[in-house]
Formats: sequence, structure tokens, C-alpha cells
Amino acid sequence: MSDSPAPSAPKPSSSVKLVLLGEAAVGKSSLVLRFVNDAFEPNKEPTIGAAFLTQKCNLPNRTIKFEIWDTAGQERFASLAPMYYRNAQSALVVYDITKASSLVKAKHWIAELQRQASPGIVIALVGNKLDLVEDEEEGEAQEGEGEGEGEEDGKVRRVSTKEGKDYADEENLLFFETSAKSGHNVNEVFTAIANAIPETSLKGPRGGAGGATQAALGSGAQDNSRVNLNANADAGPKEGCAC
Amino acid sequence: METLDGTEWDVVIAGTGLPQSLLALSLSRSGKSVLHLDRNDYYGGNEAALSLSEARDWATKHAATGEEAHNTTFSHATIQENAVEEGGIKLSQPRAYSLALAPHVIHAQSKLLAALVSSRMHNQLEFQAVGSWFLAEPLSENDGSRSHITRVPSGREDIFRDNTFDLRAKRSLMKFLRFVQNYEEQPQAWQSDAERPFPDFLQQKFGLPPSSHGALLSLTLLPSAANSTSTGSALPLIARHLRSIGVFGPGFGAVLPKWGGLAEIAQVACRAGAVGGGVYVLKKGIDSISSASEDHIKLVLSDGEKITTRWLAGCSDDLPPIGTREITGRMTRSISIVTPPLVQLFPPTSEGGVTPAGAVVIVPSSTADEPPVQIVAHSHESGECPSTQSVLYGSVALPYEQGKTHLAAAVEAVLQGYEESSHHSLWSLCYHQNNVREERGPSTNTIVLAHAPLELGLSDSTFDEVKLAWQQITGETEGFMVFEAREGMEDDD
Ligand SMILES: Nc1nc2c(ncn2[C@@H]2O[C@H](COP(=O)(O)OP(=O)(O)OP(=O)(O)O)[C@@H](O)[C@H]2O)c(=O)[nH]1
Ligand SMILES: [Mg+2]
Repeated sequence: MSDSPAPSAPKPSSSVKLVLLGEAAVGKSSLVLRFVNDAFEPNKEPTIGAAFLTQKCNLPNRTIKFEIWDTAGQERFASLAPMYYRNAQSALVVYDITKASSLVKAKHWIAELQRQASPGIVIALVGNKLDLVEDEEEGEAQEGEGEGEGEEDGKVRRVSTKEGKDYADEENLLFFETSAKSGHNVNEVFTAIANAIPETSLKGPRGGAGGATQAALGSGAQDNSRVNLNANADAGPKEGCAC
Repeated sequence: METLDGTEWDVVIAGTGLPQSLLALSLSRSGKSVLHLDRNDYYGGNEAALSLSEARDWATKHAATGEEAHNTTFSHATIQENAVEEGGIKLSQPRAYSLALAPHVIHAQSKLLAALVSSRMHNQLEFQAVGSWFLAEPLSENDGSRSHITRVPSGREDIFRDNTFDLRAKRSLMKFLRFVQNYEEQPQAWQSDAERPFPDFLQQKFGLPPSSHGALLSLTLLPSAANSTSTGSALPLIARHLRSIGVFGPGFGAVLPKWGGLAEIAQVACRAGAVGGGVYVLKKGIDSISSASEDHIKLVLSDGEKITTRWLAGCSDDLPPIGTREITGRMTRSISIVTPPLVQLFPPTSEGGVTPAGAVVIVPSSTADEPPVQIVAHSHESGECPSTQSVLYGSVALPYEQGKTHLAAAVEAVLQGYEESSHHSLWSLCYHQNNVREERGPSTNTIVLAHAPLELGLSDSTFDEVKLAWQQITGETEGFMVFEAREGMEDDD
């Protein structure tokens, strides 16, 4: 495999499935909106069911096309997530740093992913809404104040950076604090995930299964077992046709 | 968690197998409010893909062998895990497997594939080639030494290069293949023989020797014994095979969905159905159905919640009995995880073409009155097992005890078929499957969909039936599974 492909050669490109999980209103859809459209909506509607978006992420040696499944946090019957994390190569689990309960929910999702998802899944834990506490002392959680106080303004940090980071380290997760509003660290999360996906699993999310297909990756060739259902236009019955 | 009690729906769909999932998706995109339920705690129903631990639970649940096994879809499930010799390849972790209850082969011209493209679902799916068809030696003729496995010639050149047929047989074969290509236009050549056994037809009308019958029968993917395979049923299926070759690339005509067969298509349909507004609930079944008013049905769910809906659809497995049930097909099936990988079954079908992930091996029975064992082999490229292994999906149209013996012998024949005879099975699951069909009950707004057929070559019947149900519910005639691109949902480059 060549480290520096010829300038004219297209970079190898592969698709990566990513599922977003987390409590309602922590900012999952806002993070995706920032990543995909570089935009922010102050009053974003809650997601119903799920949403699907795609976005490319350019790495020095390859292009990753994220296929993003954004699930609803207020999912009513707790039955949706399993259909999205099946065969997902990555998951982004989001909590809101101004809401302690959202970290509890995030831990629940991480446990479920570790139990049920593809063995090699790359998980990033993200504490969102950093902009709300930016003027506060770096990384200190405010103690003693009741949850839900000062809803409108004066949001305070309820989860310290250290708490999130320590948990992420323990569980071997990528960790970031972000703001979908300011854009802080948002691209960094997706780039870190893209970089963390092992090259061998790019076409095969399951540990050990399907990795070898990628032998041709370095040459910019596509997965050599994949059949393109749109190929019939130029192919037509050829060799092999018996008559 | 919220309750469903008292909710009202346009359509309630029971079960998340392939037919139901396609219907739920198409209806959710036609603006219907859809509640999609599954009594299981996993998606996919009868077409599910299972990890090893899920397969263990599944087998426990479907282990019944007595009276109660007669009319249920799955029964007799048993798992055998074989000892591994020192230093040998072992089973990997349970989630490294995704074993398909429905490892169907999908031909290029299947209506389902066209619908996957028109609905843009194909962007979420990955298809791989089913490359070669093989014939193993009939079971009892195998004297215990190495069995012979030969590749079924798939084209004109192949036939000429083949050294199992003499020149006369080759000519007859070419003549027959030319005839099949447009057999519909020559009814005089076969219609009077439509009900007769296909081997007789081949012999008498085309002078094809019995040694060539197995190859042609294998292309039909019919589970029936040679002598019970009628000319009228075989011809369209051989034509399907031949006409599919080359459509998606040189040298192959059929595909499989990566990651566990039809389960993956059902799953992708559910994902899109949820994006389309469908509500999904696992671990909830339907206990009873009664009519609330002329055009409303009242349902009691397994946890006692009561809901109403205008339409109810599902397969018989997921509904309380409505009409009369009938068994339309019986099959004993097996799933074997084998090592080392059977690379010989997946040769490239053309230079520079795709690497096939699937193959078909037919092990004929010793007499033409007994059905063959059909094996669909998947390489690790299918994402169903680690790279040191392959998966063999066997099926035979025999009752369990007899079927199990035939399956085991056939799998052994495949494993012993190659020089490096160290091939062995690490794990296998054997079970019996009935195809339960239910006639529509008295209620006109309850639709009982047929299960996906047992035959390994996926027919268009599932597609046709789902389309009919969609038309009935929406009152539309055109536009089934044709969706516009959605915002943020670009097509593949
Ligand atoms: N200040 C601030 N507000 C944010 C941020 N991210 C999201 N929000 C706001 O939080 C609210 C919820 O954001 P969403 O993106 O809809 O949250 P979600 O996690 O997708 O919610 P569900 O779809 O219900 O699961 C919206 O009003 C957003 O504008 C952020 O980084 N900073
Ligand atoms: Mg959202």
C-alpha cells in the first residue's frame, strides 16, 4: 500500500455506519446538523422515530462517508435502537453537561452497545452544550443545586469534565466536550471516530469478519465482493449467458 | 415507557419478517400511521439473523418435537457443538456470527431488487454475488472415500470445456439451453409435457442423458425430487437462472444480501420505516382480534393494552388464528459453521469481476424419487462468520429424522470433497420448518400475508403479495415502493 498516492488518484472512500444515542434534548440532532450543514437551530424539534443523513469526512489518506442514523431520545417504546446499532461500525453517545441524568442514560446506552452491538464498534462519548457553561470555571461541576433550577438562563455544569473523561477512559471510549451551538469540537468528534475505525474493518464491522475484502483499499479500488445493483444499465447479459 | 392503550392507528402490522417490514415501510411512506409490533425481542421474525448466543436461545424456544410441532413454523431445533482438537480453529465470540434463517438466493431480475432500487433502500444494503453452482455425487454412491464435487457449467464456453459430457450430450445441452431462453414462445414444444417429470422431458424431447439432468435440475433450486419436478415448474426457473446471468456483472446472475440474508433487507426496511414515521415496538404480540365497528378492528396486545386500527396485517405466526391454516411446505434445515474456509466454492466468476460470497451445492439423492439436499454456502465475506470459517445452509424436503441424516451426510460430502480433507464442522443447528399458510378470515380488513417461501430461490410471490396488500390499504395502484430522495439522503456516487 502506498503512503502517498499519486495526486490524480482518487482517495479510497468507504462508508461507515454511525448511530447516535442519548437522552432526549441533549443535542444529538444539533450535533449532526452542525456536522452536516454547519448550522444550528436554537429551537430544534425533537426527532420522531429516527432520521438519516450522510456526510463525508476527508482524512489525509482516505475519505469516510458517514451514514448517520439519528435516533429519538424520547423514543417511546425503547425498541428502535437495536435496529440501528446492528452492524454499525460506530456510535456517538451524547449527554448534556448541564443535566446529570443524561450521563446516567448515556452509561446505559454504552452498556447496551458493549453487550449487543458489533464487537469492534467504535464508541465516542460526548458531553454537549459546552457553550452554556463556558464562562464558568473550567471543568468544575456545581454542587448542591437542585436539578432543573434556572431552566431558562444561568445553566450550570452538572457533569465535570473529569467525570466524563474518567468514565470514558475506563470504558475505552473516545471523549469530547462539544457545543453544537458554537461548533466547538464537533468536527473533531467525527474525525476522531473516522480515524479510530480500523482500516481492516472498513467493510466489515464485525470483529474478524469480512476484513480481508479490503485488500484493494490502498489502490483506491472498491470493495471487490460488492455487487452494484445499478450496474445493469451498462452490463447487459454478457459472457456466461448460455445462448 | 409510554402505553399504547387506547391508541388508534391506520395500520397495525404484526411481525418484523421481510413481508411485514416491506409493507410497513411502504405504508409509512404513503402517509399512513403505522404501528409495527413484534412479539420477539429481536427484529426479523422468521427471516432473522442470529448471533451464536441468539441462535442458542432461538433453538431452545423452537425445540418442541411432539404434537405441538406439527403446525408450528419452527420445531425440532437442536445444536451440536463439536470438540476442537488441540491448536485447531475454534468458534469465535458469539457476536462474530450472523446466521441467517433465510439464506435465500435472489436472482438479478427479481422484482424485490428493482423495488430496493426504486425505494433507494439499496443504498443501505450491500449485495454480493452467488457465483457458482456445484453438484456433489449422490449420497449413497459415495463409498466413503473422497466425494466428487463438480462445478455446473454456467455458459456456452463452460459447456464446451467441460469434460463430463460427450460431444453429443454437449450439442443436446446447447439445443436445450437455446430453447429455454424463449420457451414461452414455443408452447407446442413443452406445454403438453408440463405435468410430466422434467427428467423424462429432457430425455425424450432433447435426448439429454441422465448424467446431465442433475446439473439442469440444480439450476431450478426446487426442493423436490427429480421425479416429482414437473416440466412446467422447472422451465421458468431455469430460464430465470439463465436470463439473470450477466445482469449485474459477468459470470453470475444471483446475489445475496450481506450480513445475514433476508434479515438485512427486513432490517433496513424497518429503519427506513421508522424514519418514515412508523412506530416500532418489540416484545409485544397480538392476543385477540375483534371488530369494533364496521371499519375498525379492536386488538388486545400481549400485555393487556387495547388498541384500535383500521387495518391489521401480518403473517400467521404473529396473529391469533383467524381462518383455516394449512401447511404448504415442509423442510428440514441446518446451519453449519465449518473450518477451514471452503475457498474452492467461491472462485471468481470472471477476470477482474467481483469475488462471490455465495455458492450453491446440490447433493442429489441416490434415487430420483427422493429430494436432493440443497446447500447454500456463504464465505466470511458475507459478514456472517470470521475469516477462518464458512457457513453452510442446508435444506431438504424431508421429515426431521430422515432429513437430519441426509443433511449431515451432505454436509460431510461437501467437507470431504476437497484435497485438504481437514475440513470439519465446528457447530451446527438443525431444525424443521413448516410453511404455514392461512386463508383470509371473515374480517375484510385483516390481511394475512404469506411467509417468505421456503424455496431457496426467492420467488416474486412475497413482493407481489405485499404490493397487493399495499394497494388494498392505500387504494393506490401505482407507486408501490417508489420513493423520492429525501433531504440529506444522497445517492451513492
Ligand atoms: N446552548 C446549546 N443548546 C443546544 C446545543 N445543542 C442542542 N441545543 C438545543 O437543545 C435542544 C435539543 O436539541 P436537539 O438537537 O433537538 O436534541 P436531540 O438530542 O436530538 O433530541 P431528541 O431528538 O428529542 O432526542 C434544542 O433546542 C437545541 O437548540 C448546544 O450545544 N448548546
Ligand atoms: Mg433529535
